This record gives sequence, structure tokens and C-alpha cells, in this order.
Amino acid sequence: MKRKTLFVLMALFVVASLVFAACQPKAEEAAPAEESAPAEEAAPAEEAAPAEEAAPAEEAAAFEPLVVSADCKNNKMKEIAAIDEMTVRFTMCKPDPAFLAKIAFTPFFIYPQEWIEANANEANKETLLSAPVGTGPYYIESWNRGDSIVFKRFDDYWGDAAKTQTLVFRWATEGAQRLLELQSGTVDYITKLSPDDYETVQNDDTLQFLPVPNPNIMYLAMTNTFEPWNDVNVRKAIAMGIDRQRIIDNFYPAGSEVASHFTPCSIPNGCTGESWYDFNLEEANRLLDEAGLERGEDGIRFKTAIYYRDVFRVYLPEPGLVAVEIQTQLKENLGIDADVVVMESGEFIAESTAGNLNGLYMLGWGADYLHVTNFLDFHFSRSNPQFGDPIPDIYEVLEEASTIADPAEAAPLYEKANNAIREFVPMVPIAHGAPADAARADVENAQPAVLGPPDLWTFVPGDRDTLVYLKAAEPISLYCADETDGESLDACKMVTEGLYKYNAAGDAVPTLATSCEANEDATVYTCYLREGVKFHDGSTLDANDVVRSWDASMNAASPYHIGNTGAFEYPSYLFDALMNQTDE
Amino acid sequence: MAVKKETFSNETQRDYRSNSLFFLTMRNLLKQRSAIVGGLILIILVLVAIFAPLIAPYDPEAVLIGVEDVKKRADPCIHLLGCPEDQPQHILGTDGNVRDVFSRIIFGTRVSLFIGFSTVGFAIVIGTFLGAVGGYTGGWLDNLIMRLMDVLLAFPSLLLAIAIVSFRGRGLQNALLAIAIVTIPVYARVVRGSVLSVKEQAYVAASRALGGGHLHILFGRILPNAIPPLIVQGTLGIATAILDAAALSFLGLGAQPPTPEWGTMLGSERNQVFTAPHLVFFPGLAIMITVLAFNLLGDGLRDAIDPRLKQ
Repeated sequence: MKRKTLFVLMALFVVASLVFAACQPKAEEAAPAEESAPAEEAAPAEEAAPAEEAAPAEEAAAFEPLVVSADCKNNKMKEIAAIDEMTVRFTMCKPDPAFLAKIAFTPFFIYPQEWIEANANEANKETLLSAPVGTGPYYIESWNRGDSIVFKRFDDYWGDAAKTQTLVFRWATEGAQRLLELQSGTVDYITKLSPDDYETVQNDDTLQFLPVPNPNIMYLAMTNTFEPWNDVNVRKAIAMGIDRQRIIDNFYPAGSEVASHFTPCSIPNGCTGESWYDFNLEEANRLLDEAGLERGEDGIRFKTAIYYRDVFRVYLPEPGLVAVEIQTQLKENLGIDADVVVMESGEFIAESTAGNLNGLYMLGWGADYLHVTNFLDFHFSRSNPQFGDPIPDIYEVLEEASTIADPAEAAPLYEKANNAIREFVPMVPIAHGAPADAARADVENAQPAVLGPPDLWTFVPGDRDTLVYLKAAEPISLYCADETDGESLDACKMVTEGLYKYNAAGDAVPTLATSCEANEDATVYTCYLREGVKFHDGSTLDANDVVRSWDASMNAASPYHIGNTGAFEYPSYLFDALMNQTDE
Repeated sequence: MAVKKETFSNETQRDYRSNSLFFLTMRNLLKQRSAIVGGLILIILVLVAIFAPLIAPYDPEAVLIGVEDVKKRADPCIHLLGCPEDQPQHILGTDGNVRDVFSRIIFGTRVSLFIGFSTVGFAIVIGTFLGAVGGYTGGWLDNLIMRLMDVLLAFPSLLLAIAIVSFRGRGLQNALLAIAIVTIPVYARVVRGSVLSVKEQAYVAASRALGGGHLHILFGRILPNAIPPLIVQGTLGIATAILDAAALSFLGLGAQPPTPEWGTMLGSERNQVFTAPHLVFFPGLAIMITVLAFNLLGDGLRDAIDPRLKQ
């Protein structure tokens, strides 16, 4: 009987094996299809001829202008319409003087209409996230996960062609490793130099030391939906009880400064209003006593946690050390016993921005565009829960200010908003960092940008035809309409372009548009597209590409509204809310 | 006559003592130079751990910013070796948070020894119980226990420890529990093997014939004779436990700041391996010396206890 059972089992095993074997070819077929998709998308860029052949067919077809619209609720964007083949009109529910500065930002870059319609779905999501097609100076040849991204020069680029045939993005989380690779000549440019390495690079004739003029802020945040952070006096006590100068002096590179306001002063209206609280232990402890948080026998008032991610950022070069320093200061100065909790980067961002962290957390922000709305509106808007319940005294003033085009006219409102931030202390601004990059001495035109990555296509790496760019981390995805990850945005900028871009000074200047004209109250912008711009897939830029790209990112009801997380945070925050967004 | 009788009694007692397992082991152990070195290092480490507050010149968690004129990640400064007198003496330098590295390493000895002894102690108690019960009872219970142990052994120990810590949350306590759990099967196997061989001995049969109960036979007769290999395994296991704890702390899953733990010290300064190598060198050296001490002693004990290696 036992033997019979054994035979039956063996027979079943053989049948199962056969079934698996039969399925195997299908799986093999499917895998290369997914993997080769990026290459297929990239390939047409090399083959200019088929694209040219396709063009007459496109021209022959009658142009059917796309229009996307929404009712005015919380959203700012009302309608995006192709007026003719080369004209797009953006209509907003309320004035937006910072519109051009916003559309120069990577999440609003343009993809071919056909590419979005083919890939913005669950079946082709992998292609959507890993092989973007744009009009940029490079196209993606391959993304070798965990290792590198290889870009190739796009020969049909409408502007000045990239100086190098090949651009390679690599990444190394450790600053020491990045410097070592630069010193050994295996890479041409490294980002996020460790503060301790500044002197080494400055004293090395074979290297260039490159200060990065990116405005930024590091802050210590509290979520006001948890106790005791729901008490404004406790938050004020933290604001007064931390010696921020000591943090700058010991853990930030030269050139960094204590934050007097949330927004750096280099941005107009950034530091109107009163400066932040001075370090005042007596007052801080008095506030805590008043809040009923008296010291116990061991001198401790209460226990909490300091959350952070162990990732180098321009605003926080040594997060672990700063966390321990704040832990020390909280205990010594205020009698608050805080555990230091390091979290995985993605989880940290998700939890902190959702307002789920019960305790203090260290986060920061680097400017995406040089307008005060990029700092204040993103963080303190009515739709952002990262500090807990949004504070009406702050966001109502910001909403009013954001409709005024003239900075001088808006100044009193931003003064009011900055004072409200100081009064309600949703977070404690700590530092404006002074980051730096480094490059090999023979790399010409190596110049960090005020905003985003440098214009790598203008770099000439000696007599080499490959430029190797070493970053701190691997991009998460390359469909940047739905990305907030800086590493992803940097990579996207090599491949895709927007209607506008930031120049070296950080000002928005036309790119795929030749110009955009605003009406009197800045509620309607009409943009005229550049003629003869080709995408990497050979198609030609027209107004429908712009509308479909914005539809996919900005319109929550669009069938193409699919991305990495589906949150589309930048489109949502920068335009108050998505179009056709449901209340939930 | 009475004097003679007393002399005889003392000699007999001395002979008996000198032939006991403990004295035989100690005699054999003292013949091995490596074991002596391991033992001496261990004694020093224990003394350092006990008298840490007297040896360490600073509080290991004290940040010296504003207290002394000393820089972050300062190089070692020893006045006797030419370091300027006006500079505060930090014989192993300071770390990224401007704390005295020497004091942190001294106090780190306490943490590491505590980790080693507590995890192995816990694992031995549980492992011994499971191995003894399995080996003595045999049958389905033995099968169940040992298959469970096999499952635990099938995972790389550090990976399993990481999984346990990830599940229970980071922190020293959970790291200790994780390390203890992953080492239980080793002791369970050793004890089971010993029990299987000892339970067939004549004196166990005699005890059974005299009406001894199962508990009495297992814990009174068999286990005491199964302990020697456990001591060897435990000594070697402490070294592994210290290494595993350091690895977990290095990964940020073990001891949390500001606890002065060697693995944490290594992990927090790993980025400075080229700019401030002393910050990774000295904690690494401390781990190496401690692990070496336990390994040398463990090897020596094995040689001393195992009759097959006596010659």
C-alpha cells in the first residue's frame, strides 16, 4: 500500500514537473519582453530614419486638439487645452504668479502622447517607470538595477548636442567611497561631498571643489496630532531649548548657517517677519513646566523618539551625528529622553509625510524652484499632513499670498505667514547647509546648478568620451511625474524636458516652449511650442503631447493617471490639489 | 594512631580531588599556552568591565562640545608621546559626536561581555532542556524537537537574527533575544548527543534499577555528565554571540545610540575609514581581541576536556 502511495506521489511529481516545464517558455518569453522594452523604447532614438518616415503620416492626420478640464474645488488648475498644434493654454481657478517657475520643475516635463497612452497602464508600468521617452540631450540605453544607468547622446536633439557620447550614472551611499572613486579616476564627478572631505578636495590639485548654491533647509519636525506635541508651548520649548549654533558649528560644513526662517533668505520674501527664537533654556524649561511636564526624580520629563533616515542630504550631511547631538541636547537642556530611531529611507519619507511619526523627526528640503511657494506652500498647505493638523493661520495667508504676482506686494502676507509659523512652531528650522560637489580637474564646464543636477551634457571630461557621474543613491523610478526622490529627478532631467527650465541662476527660461504669456491676473497662461523638436522615439512634439503629459500627472480622473506611488505629490501640492480629485 | 589516620584521610581526599574532572581539566588547561593567553585576556576584560568607571577618564556618553577645546574626530592625543600639553588627552581620539573613544571602548567591554554571557546563558538553558528532554525521551518528541532545531539551523544565523529583530523591533534587548534564539539549536544538539551516549551507561541503568525517577535520572545522573562539551561549546559560542551582536549593531539593529557598543561605534563611523581610521580601528580591535580570547579559551577547554585529544 505504501509503495503504491509512493508511486502515485512520484507520478504526481512528474506531472507537475511537466506542467512547470510547459509553462517555462512562456515565462522566458515574457521576461525578455519586459526587459527589452526600455531598449526598444530607446532604440528608435538611434534610428532617426524610421522617425522621419513616420513624420509625414503624422502630419497627414488631422490634428485633434486634446482638452482636459475640471471644476474648481480645492484644485488650482482648471483646464489644459491644445489650442492648435503648437499652442497650449493653461487656465487656472485662481492666479498663480509662480506658474512658470513651477512648470520648469522636472515632474511637469513632457512625454509623447502615444508613449503615455501605450504605457500608462498596469500592464506596461515597468516600461513607464524605467524607460522614459523625452526630448532631452540623452536617451536611456540601459538601467542596470543596483549598478548603473547608461545614457547615450540623442543625435536629433533640438539644442546643442551633448558633449559626450555616453553618460553613466552610478551611486555609492558612502561619502568616503565616492571620494575614493574620484581620486582613483574611475568617476568624473561626485555629488554630496562629506564635510570632512572638503579640505582634502581643496588641497588636491587633481580635483575641483565645487560649492553647490542650492537653497535648502533642515528642520526638526513634530506631528501635532500626538501628545505632548499638540501643545504649542511644548513645541516652543523645543524651539528655544536646542542650541542650533552648536549643531552648525560642529556638524555642518563651512558656509552653513543657522536658519532664521524656514525659507532661505536668498529667496524673495523668504525671511520677512521676525527671526526664529533665540536659544533660551530658562524660558524653554518654564514652558515645559507650565505644560505640566515636570521633571521626575531622574530629571526626565518624558520619553520620546527622534526619527531620521541615514541618507546624506545637502541640508543634512551627517544625519546620525546630528540625531545624537539633538538627543544629547534634549536630555541635558530640557530633560527629554529621546531614543534615536533610524528608519529605511522610503519608509521614513512615507511615514513622516503622512504625519504618522509620534515624536521628533529630522527632515529637510532643497529648493526645486526659486520661489517662496516652493518652501512654504509645499510644507504648510492645507493638504499636507506632515506636521499633523494643518494650521489655518498659516495656510490661509499662504493661499492668499500665492495669488499675488508682485513680490513687493506679497511681502506683507509672507511676513504674516512667517510670523504665524514662528508662533505655532509646526517645526524648528535648524540649518541652511552649504553643500559641495567635486570633479576631476580635467572636467571642463563642471558647474553645479542652483537647482537640480548640473547640465551634464555640457561637461567635457578631458579626452574621454564617457562621463561618469557618481551619486549618493540609485533612482527609485524614472517617471518623474510621480516622483519626489531627488536621485530620480536628477536622472529624469537628462532625458526629459519641460516647457521651461531653470538656467544657471535658477530662473525659469523657455525650453520646449518659445514663450508663455500670462493674462493680466495670471490665471491663464498661453504657451507656444518650439517647432521641430523630436522625441527619442522619433515623434515630433505638439500640443497634444503637452496636454496628455499634464493630464496623466495632474488629472486624477485620467485613465493614464498611473505612476510609481500614484500620489503625484508635486502636482498635487504645487497646484493645491489634483484636477477632479475626490474628497477622500 | 589518630595522627596517622588523619594523614591517610587527607591524602585520600587530595587524591580524590586531584583526579576529579575539574582538576584534571584545569591541569590540562594550564599546560596549553594559547588557553592561558585566552584566559588571561578574558580576566583582564572582566576586570576592565567591572572597573570601567575607574579606568575610563570620561563618561562614555558625554559630549565634550563646550566642555573641552577638542575637535570632532580628533586624532589620538597622548601627552607622553609628544601631544602638546595644552591639548586635552584622548588616547584613542574623539568620535563624530566629540566623545572620548577610549572611554567608550572601556564601557563597551561591559556591553559586549554582557551580550556574550547573557545570550549564551539563555541559549544554554533552553537548548539544554530541549536537548535533554529530546535525547532522554526519544520517539516523536525527540523527532519534533530536533526537526525544529534543524529548521532553525537551516537559516544563516545572522540572517535569522536580522529577521527576528526586524519583527520585534531594533534595540539591544531584542538583538540579545534574537542571537540567543538562533544559537539554541547548537546547544540542544550537543546536549542531546551527550544524553544519548550517557543514558546507556551502567550507572544510569543502576540508578534506574534502584527505582530512580525520570527527572532524578535525567537531571541528577545524566546531565551532570553531559555538561563538559556544553562548556566548550558555550565558551566558543560567546565569541560568536559577541560577533553577531556587533554585526547587528553595525547594521543599526542592535544597541542604539548613545550606548557605547563596539559594533555601533564601528557602524556610525564606517564612512570615516579613510579620514579618521582610528574610529573604526580601535572598536574593531576590541572586538577582535575579545573574540580571540574566547576562541583560545574554548579551544583549550576542548583539548583539556576531550579525552581523545589528551595525548
